[in-house]
Amino acid sequence: MSDLYFDDVTVGDDIPGVVKGPMSTAHIMRWSAAMENWHRIHYDWKYATGHDKLPDVMVNGSWKQHVLIQLLVDWAGEGGWLWRMGFQFRGMNVPGETLTAWGRVRGKERRGDYGVVNLAIGLKNEKGVESTPGTARVVLPCRGGPAVPYPFDAACLGPRVSE
Amino acid sequence: MSESYITPAVRAVIGASNGPLLACHPVEASEVRRFYQAVMDPAPRYWDERWAKSSRYGGLVAPPAFPTHAFRRGPTEADPLDRMEEPDFDGNTRSFRGLPPVEVPLTRLLNGGYEYEFFRYARIGEPIYRSSSYLDIYQRAGRSGPMVFVVVADTYTGEAGARLIETVTTTILR
Repeated sequence: MSDLYFDDVTVGDDIPGVVKGPMSTAHIMRWSAAMENWHRIHYDWKYATGHDKLPDVMVNGSWKQHVLIQLLVDWAGEGGWLWRMGFQFRGMNVPGETLTAWGRVRGKERRGDYGVVNLAIGLKNEKGVESTPGTARVVLPCRGGPAVPYPFDAACLGPRVSE
Repeated sequence: MSESYITPAVRAVIGASNGPLLACHPVEASEVRRFYQAVMDPAPRYWDERWAKSSRYGGLVAPPAFPTHAFRRGPTEADPLDRMEEPDFDGNTRSFRGLPPVEVPLTRLLNGGYEYEFFRYARIGEPIYRSSSYLDIYQRAGRSGPMVFVVVADTYTGEAGARLIETVTTTILR
């Protein structure tokens, strides 16, 4: 994994996506069992469609979040840090879908010795339908600058530097 | 105007807090393995001891948001499967994080979304603590009727009170 530096990031860049699927009921069951999640909409088709009026059993939102985290942590590399992220579960995902986590650089700012990159993120199915739109902030080192501290503390970020 | 589910009793629990509560066991290598295998994210920081030792983590760690799943059912807690015969029981209690229950007679529950701030990854063997509070509970009109949004803030810490992750979670009752 090559190191990523703030200097090498350009606004408008698409970061490498992470693809999962096609998702099956077994994928959903594996996650639910691993996390001891007993919410019926993930494994009880009759309950999901009858009681909750859903189209099928649901891919867990709690699972989808980790795919978005994987996307950002992979991109930041071992020298960067996924600092903040937020996203909403706006759409449902069901078995049979192939899901792609995506990210696009929306802005960047130098903060003292470090750089902060703002991204739009989301999770689309094979038809391009978005289910999980959100945003993220990733801290990256600058070429010739110090390593991003670990554990991370936002107090290390200096005031914004105009470029 | 539809019925308001934000009764004085519901409003009264906004701001309620608890913690720090200790997860019933420290982070286990096997649960981390099942986690990253289910996410299909086999990064070496989760399993390659030699790699991890020479990394910035100093040893194996759990995935970034793992602490949010660390609070499993303890040996003396009620078994949720005992209630599966109840027609409206969906497998979840409405007592979020052990906070006072949100007494809203809406039986369908969806995950609305998360906000995260990350500080450090939990280490294998590390105890996890959680402090929680209801930030807000409010109602909105949805396409299929009223929806109640339950917003919970959590702070997860590890050894010596070190911050791991702070979260804001929105759960939708409808």
